[in-house]
Amino acid sequence: METTEQNSIPKLPLLASLLALGGLADAIYLTIHHYTTEPVPCGEAFDCGAVLTSSYAEINGIPLAVFGAIAYFTAFSLAILTVFGNRLMWRIFGLQVVAMGLFSIYLIYVQAFVLKAFCQFCLISAGITFTLLIIALISKFWRAK
Amino acid sequence: MNNQKNSMLPIAIIGLVLLVALVGGWFWYSSTATVSNRNTTANRTPDAGKLNEQKIIYEKGSPGANPPNLLGAPNATVTVEEFADFQCGTCAVKHPIAKEIIATYGSRIKFIFRSYPLTQIHDKAYDAAVAAEAAGMQGKYWDMQNQLFTNQASWMTKDPVAFRGILEEYAKKIGLDIEKFKTDMAGLPAKTRVDLDMQRGRSIRVSSTPTFFINGKPLDLSQMTVEGMKQAIDAELQKTPQ
Repeated sequence: METTEQNSIPKLPLLASLLALGGLADAIYLTIHHYTTEPVPCGEAFDCGAVLTSSYAEINGIPLAVFGAIAYFTAFSLAILTVFGNRLMWRIFGLQVVAMGLFSIYLIYVQAFVLKAFCQFCLISAGITFTLLIIALISKFWRAK
Repeated sequence: MNNQKNSMLPIAIIGLVLLVALVGGWFWYSSTATVSNRNTTANRTPDAGKLNEQKIIYEKGSPGANPPNLLGAPNATVTVEEFADFQCGTCAVKHPIAKEIIATYGSRIKFIFRSYPLTQIHDKAYDAAVAAEAAGMQGKYWDMQNQLFTNQASWMTKDPVAFRGILEEYAKKIGLDIEKFKTDMAGLPAKTRVDLDMQRGRSIRVSSTPTFFINGKPLDLSQMTVEGMKQAIDAELQKTPQ
């Protein structure tokens, strides 16, 4: 069992780092579209303009996507440091993705109940965050065993 | 030596990702910005060429419902034209901003509101727009518009049939003759006005709601605040002799 744990833990941080890279790309994409004011391609079922141009899309004039990019870059860095043996970073990663997960729940709530409109790039980001959270929880559960 | 090498590797990977993100992001931004003729100054307003092109499109667009739903002075030199969907959350969020602008500028501006229901995604937006026009036929367009936006959360999730009942409630609340309201809702004139406004929106390339034009210039997303709109209106007011 000890061997299984030793082998499987680094795989999870590696997977987490790759996912965080995906989240980083998504956040950079939204940041660029925000600053160029080019509308993002949006599916029929979505109303990206309504979401990305709403007052909830910025904090003090800074687009949320910028904060998302910083968060994903930090998550990536923490996961990579864990891959190379720094276990303390994995704990910090766990705390960070819990915070990101809670904020994602708030953003989904805003889209569903306040704006009544969704943006697929925001949902992709939330999906990545929840997957990172699941990875952190699996890792925690595994270690607890 | 090997350990040191091992501890440097994650730092190198992180640094490389940061570099790729920043440099790649910058190139991506530059290429997108070139395509959209972005102004190179920091205020995110489109450059003169793009603005001129948009202004020409605006001026050549379909006229829309005539007379339009208008507040302020019809002969004011500054026209603020809003395209909005009653079922769009952001439009409801921006409604108090538009109201504040109207209250602040009064007869110094001409404020036009046009319905632009996004019918593919909002099942009650068209009916809501027709209801506002039907109320307008009894001189209460703005009262109905206000009811629809301020109470949006309470009717948003209702089915279209129940929504008809809610519209009649609002009609009673603002003092409309209900029978006339129902007849006007069903009749062609109110629908035609909505259709004409939608046609105008499409012809001047309205792609999202709300969209505000100030003397033909579309407002940037970041300008859809009281301060942002004031700046844009003041700039236009300064151009013309009072």
